[in-house]
Amino acid sequence: MKLINRFWWMLVLVFIALYPPTIGGMSPYRSGLLIFVGIYVILAVSLDLLMGFAGQISVGHAAFFAIGAYVSGILTAKYGAPPAPAMMAGMALSAAVAWGVGRPVLALKEYYLAMATLALNEIVVTLIVGLQRLTGGASGLRDVPSFSVFGFSFDSQIRYYYLVWAIVVLVVASSLLLTRSPFGRTLIAIHSDETAAKTFGIDCAGYKIRVYVLSAVFASIAGSLFAHYMGFLAPDDFSVMTSINVLVMLYLGGIGTIYGPALGALFLKLLPEITVRLQDYEMLMNGAILILILVFMPKGLFGILTEIRSRLVARGSR
Amino acid sequence: MSTPPQGRAREKERAGLAEEAFLTVHRVSKSFEGVHALIDVSFQVKAGQIKALIGPNGAGKTTLLNVINGLLPPDEGRVALRGRELAGMKTEQIAALGVSRTFQLLRLFTVNDATVLDNVLLGAHKRINPTILGTLFLPGRSRHRERVMREKAMEALSFVGMNWAADRLPTALSFGNQRLVELARSLMSEPELLLLDEPASGLNDAEVEEFLQLLLAVRARGITILLVQHNMNLVMRLCDDIVVLDFGKWLAEGDPAAICANPAVIEAYLGAAGGGGSC
Amino acid sequence: MGDFSYLVQFFFSGLTSGAVYALMAVSLVVVYKVSLLICFAQGEFFVIGALTMATLTSKGLPMPVALGLSIVISTAIGALVERVLIRPIQNTSVGNLIVMTIAISLALRGSALLVWGKESAVLPPFSATPPIQVLGATLQSQVLWIIGVTLFVLIVIWFFFEKTRAGIAMRACSENRLGASLMGISTQKIAIFAWAWGSGIGALAGMAVAPLLFMQYGSGLMPMVKGFIAMSIGGLGSIAGAVIAGFLLGIVEAYTIGLLSSQFSDTIVFTLLLVLLFFKPSGLFPASGRREV
Repeated sequence: MKLINRFWWMLVLVFIALYPPTIGGMSPYRSGLLIFVGIYVILAVSLDLLMGFAGQISVGHAAFFAIGAYVSGILTAKYGAPPAPAMMAGMALSAAVAWGVGRPVLALKEYYLAMATLALNEIVVTLIVGLQRLTGGASGLRDVPSFSVFGFSFDSQIRYYYLVWAIVVLVVASSLLLTRSPFGRTLIAIHSDETAAKTFGIDCAGYKIRVYVLSAVFASIAGSLFAHYMGFLAPDDFSVMTSINVLVMLYLGGIGTIYGPALGALFLKLLPEITVRLQDYEMLMNGAILILILVFMPKGLFGILTEIRSRLVARGSR
Repeated sequence: MSTPPQGRAREKERAGLAEEAFLTVHRVSKSFEGVHALIDVSFQVKAGQIKALIGPNGAGKTTLLNVINGLLPPDEGRVALRGRELAGMKTEQIAALGVSRTFQLLRLFTVNDATVLDNVLLGAHKRINPTILGTLFLPGRSRHRERVMREKAMEALSFVGMNWAADRLPTALSFGNQRLVELARSLMSEPELLLLDEPASGLNDAEVEEFLQLLLAVRARGITILLVQHNMNLVMRLCDDIVVLDFGKWLAEGDPAAICANPAVIEAYLGAAGGGGSC
Repeated sequence: MGDFSYLVQFFFSGLTSGAVYALMAVSLVVVYKVSLLICFAQGEFFVIGALTMATLTSKGLPMPVALGLSIVISTAIGALVERVLIRPIQNTSVGNLIVMTIAISLALRGSALLVWGKESAVLPPFSATPPIQVLGATLQSQVLWIIGVTLFVLIVIWFFFEKTRAGIAMRACSENRLGASLMGISTQKIAIFAWAWGSGIGALAGMAVAPLLFMQYGSGLMPMVKGFIAMSIGGLGSIAGAVIAGFLLGIVEAYTIGLLSSQFSDTIVFTLLLVLLFFKPSGLFPASGRREV
């Protein structure tokens, strides 16, 4: 029992690795679903770094999702660039934007910060729609090729599944490493009380910006993966609504835990499959979920799981 | 717990050795929206002293600490630490020079279940200075440094008698204990100047007594202390020197006996009628 | 002599949207002054008001009745939201409150989607008068109604806050919450009141504009954001500032769309918001009200 406690993550990794050939039954549909889950896990985890740890509210994270997606899409579809460098170009642009607006944006507090991030999201989306010649505008960008590296093409569902989830594992692992370290502790200080943090020599602005850039880069990676999977991009997928949906995933799973947002993304993407399929219900459901979480379970699903686990451990040690 | 240094004699000796001013506050003024919080305040603190900053409510004491520590820029005047100009520097930079402080209304870190130990470890931030790249690519070095820091943190907690609470959440502790954690956190940063804002407020008599002994032990380590405090009993017994503010202005300065006898001070605190007072 | 009628036309359309932004900003200010909250869900009341009225008129109710009933319904929803959802968490962090208002906005919008689907609100103009020709440009009569409604709301607000006991109590609450509660003012009742006001004004704005625009379940976000922009320009706690800024914003936006580019008008507006936030988040006309420490 104790071993499971410590090494449960290995089980999860094994499950992820063996899912398609076994339970997934090589089903393209199910793998496709899990590919979406993986992409949103990356997005949600990136937002957790920014909101759950550094404490900076963002209602516009889809801006970086969009930048990654469109840079990858445009460079590969229109200019025939190889996908891997295109993805890196997307990451570079996202990092540059985050770095550029980071200082003034993150100097804002609360409502102003929320509005600024929303404004940034809208600016990116309206630019995408407006610069039709480059991006395809509202009608979208077509013919994005599959992702490939050194000639190896990830053109089947199964292959793409492994690509995405390999990246998910990397992102989650590095996020865990960061947050469970002195760096993560520093973020918590900044999140708790910037005045006190400064008194101990913490350069709050510097740390906040660095986390902003990192989370932008992760979101950008998710965007590139999205582009190569869909083959087609529409500006609607990157609106403030998407940012808010990621926010719901984050809170549902448990903000500030890294595992939480992963759980939230999984849950939120799979829930429509199990319950009502109607797309129209999704918005109300997301809103209701978020409300319920805020009022009754602020620590989210992961918080509940940890509760259960510590109670089991307590019972076990009696 | 450590014992206080022996006798007044040693204190006098120490005061004689360190004559030059350690901290200089020179003609500092600060206003907010027409309210003059500080008006032309000047005083000095000698190295190794425990100096009290007292005055009735609203006298500007916390504002002055905020100016010294860089949280507020003064409108006029200078603040110097061992001759080095502090005014205009950012708080983080001033912290790097060896100034630490505690807060009147406790500012402990509580998000994401940060423990007492986490709080104390954060006191040593400037020695750790974690970075993203360092954390991701040099995990071995990080881990080693972390182990060293944890030992030091536990020492700091032991010094204040709170090592038993290392894994507790600060909010689960009593107010007095939280104050001790704040003190441990400040000591962890190995300051040369410690600014304490009402550190004994909210403590009962036994806790105040403990605190007094602790501060003497802190001074024994060579740390200079500037203390804002309402509890006159503590101030009289603990401090070498006192500066009094009233309505933002410097009112009086001197050793405890002199201040106690000062009519202007008595009036400011107690009104012209005078009365009890714990002098 | 050139034909400048199009410039006048821009002015009228700017006046129309300006009135919307002004009303949205005012509703945001009212809630903010009392609960120190900026309600992300304000835009949803804008939409729900219009859609409710449309449904009621389509069922045959005379327009004034539909309007009144719609306001009552929206106000009730607003009050309910405050009581049930905001009050329990009002002492948690601001971040939580912001996310809660976002959640409320999602839930309301999602509900609107379910109730009304994706169709737009079909509302006839308040009066059947034909459009007027002014300086070569066409002015829809509804625009006059919109301006009229705005003035009406302003007068009512002025009267309420200056002359009635409840209103003065609300002002006291916004200036000094502790003091107000010590004086026996129930801050919790006032909070409900503030939200009711906010949602009522938002709904009224929506109903007034609906005859001129295509309004559907999702149309609330932009007015809310623009209302926020106007509120920020005018100074967070200032009703007068909000109104002036709202009209200014509407007119500037109309001229930008008309003269510069309609494709990037939103980009320009949002960039202006960012610039505004960077340089003067407390607004161009800092008003009295709570100082943020």
